[in-house]
Amino acid sequence: MRRAHLLGLGFMAPALLITGLFFLAPVILTAVFSFTSMSSGTGISGGAYSVSEQTIRELPERGFPQETADLLAKDVYRIDEAGLSDLSANFGEPFSKQVRKALSGKVFDGRKALVTEMKKLRERPRSVRQLKISADLFKRSILNIRFDSKAALLASVSDIGISLDASQQTILAETSYTGWSWTTDNYKLISSMPSAFRAAGNTFIYVTLTLSVSIGLGLLLALATFYLPKGQAAAFRAIWILPRILPPVIYVMMWKWLTWDTGFLSNFLLNFGITPRNWMLHSDINAWVCIVLINGFVGASLGMILFSSAMRAIPASMLHASEVDGANRRQQIWHIILPQLRWPILFTTAYSTLSLIASFDYIYLSTDGGPGRSTEVWALYAFHTALNNYGGALQYGLGAALALMLVIIGIGASLFYLRIFNFNELVAKPRIEQ
Amino acid sequence: MTSNFKSWPITIFLSILSLPIVVMFFYLILDTVTDTTGGSLIPDRLTLEHWRFLFETPATGRASIWKVTANTFIFACTTSATVVATSLTAGYALSRLNMPFRRFFLGGVLTLHAFPTITLIIAIFLMLQMTGLYNTLAGVILVKTALELPLGIWIMKGFYDTVPWEIEMAGLADGASRFTVWRKLVLPQVHPGMAALGLFSFLAAWSEFILPQVLAPDGASQVLATYMQNLIKDDVQPDFNMFKSVGLFYALPVLIIYLIFNQKLMNIYGGGSKG
Repeated sequence: MRRAHLLGLGFMAPALLITGLFFLAPVILTAVFSFTSMSSGTGISGGAYSVSEQTIRELPERGFPQETADLLAKDVYRIDEAGLSDLSANFGEPFSKQVRKALSGKVFDGRKALVTEMKKLRERPRSVRQLKISADLFKRSILNIRFDSKAALLASVSDIGISLDASQQTILAETSYTGWSWTTDNYKLISSMPSAFRAAGNTFIYVTLTLSVSIGLGLLLALATFYLPKGQAAAFRAIWILPRILPPVIYVMMWKWLTWDTGFLSNFLLNFGITPRNWMLHSDINAWVCIVLINGFVGASLGMILFSSAMRAIPASMLHASEVDGANRRQQIWHIILPQLRWPILFTTAYSTLSLIASFDYIYLSTDGGPGRSTEVWALYAFHTALNNYGGALQYGLGAALALMLVIIGIGASLFYLRIFNFNELVAKPRIEQ
Repeated sequence: MTSNFKSWPITIFLSILSLPIVVMFFYLILDTVTDTTGGSLIPDRLTLEHWRFLFETPATGRASIWKVTANTFIFACTTSATVVATSLTAGYALSRLNMPFRRFFLGGVLTLHAFPTITLIIAIFLMLQMTGLYNTLAGVILVKTALELPLGIWIMKGFYDTVPWEIEMAGLADGASRFTVWRKLVLPQVHPGMAALGLFSFLAAWSEFILPQVLAPDGASQVLATYMQNLIKDDVQPDFNMFKSVGLFYALPVLIIYLIFNQKLMNIYGGGSKG
């Protein structure tokens, strides 16, 4: 390999490392996670085995004998080394020695039986309450204890004196497993959930409306600032750059203030006798108008910048010539400027569509999908499901499955754009061959 | 252009359209130093009370604003520096160097540039949890750097593309290595690009909200964006005057940078058209 090759690969190495770690790996992992039942309930590392009251209730339904299941839930009192050393630490060596001598290795299925036995010992604590506390040191239960492996669980089960056959062991292990497992349920769930369809519909409406506002308004602003006198043009440009450059949190906070029930709009309309209300969340329509305007203004801001710079590239001689020929402004825009802007418009539309489909930060900050779920788009739906669910457990697996749809759309669309926006022109060969 | 056209209808139409932004921005500044009695639109007295968050920590166990500002500054600076450093070398390799898979790398950068990265947030969240980078500023910096990188490389490649080949050929003819040529001759030519990209990624990180919110929600690694959002969210009876003061404090660096470097930054938007 030539030295320039090595230099090139060396120069690329940091970028390759970072993109590999934070693009390639997450894309693959999104796909992997989407086939799991991971949630904040199951945890993300390997699971554990834990017998809970819930497990005891489920066991008989799976063909586990009822009596044995009840036994699992019971406390037993077992005189073992651990309990004896606790006893000597808390109630003195002599008592512990006596218990060891008289009762070592015995199992009692209730405290009463053990206390009765203990009462026969000479060194026992005098008060019955103390005796009960000392007996509790031998209480052994497998309920709600985390076991790291199946073997540890089964060992503890036999430790409290319950013997299970092979099939019972399997049922117990499966029922008590708390970790995640591989599954295709996420996809079945998505295809059957009405909320997923609603989110898909919302996304379509949102992208269509927002795109129309941002491209239309962006174009209008670019054209207007192109023709208006210098001072006015600069003023409008300065105003309309604000939505794009202000941090989203502040920009949305300003909209919230504008539409709040103690905010500008309410106070202003009070003069006309209209009751104050939260104009953003008052009804579904209000919420939709708000998120389309909030996002549309940001898009228009960007559109204005891009289209303006494309229009500055149009040779002034073409415009002068058309004016000499007597073209009015409308004809000039329609026949000269717009045809020149065809590619920038197409380009901006393509890229904005993709980023609108996937982005949710402005909606999250403003309506958060509300009121109800009326403005919850697909990306926000995935986000809510996996990372921001107030109601219940965070469902990482289901969220990943939802996000995977967007990842696939994203990769597909960006590869498609690569094709139509003339890739070969961009990869001209280097001119120094060493 | 000459005026065979009346411009006032357009001016009026645009003025009406701009009204929400003008009103919001005007009151963003006005409300930070005035008080208004409920139900009125006109403030009745001047006050600096809304800025008290600068000097006293709120009783609700929130971090001091200066600690949060320092976090944000570290986050934005480190991200910007890493993006610039990585893009400087990768951009040059893609623009000028012959290497295996060059076409593939270029295609990859372009694809990633269009790809909506925010869709990966769930997987990234789980990755950081597994590696223990969750809830650390370092984790957020790494992720933000990665997400800004495709744009950065693309922009830097664009700047390198405009450097005349003759400079390099002359350097090579004088016996310098490709590396020396890059460092001594080509790098000085792209200083404006470096500065623009640095500013741009600084602002991108400064404004970032979703990543810190999801990946480092804890108090210790809070940045201004999450600080402010928590302030808004926690309040039952919102004190918009205070929000606006914090907001203006947070937005000030952005506004100043745009006022000074307007033209430089606009160049980048031309190359990076992601919405």
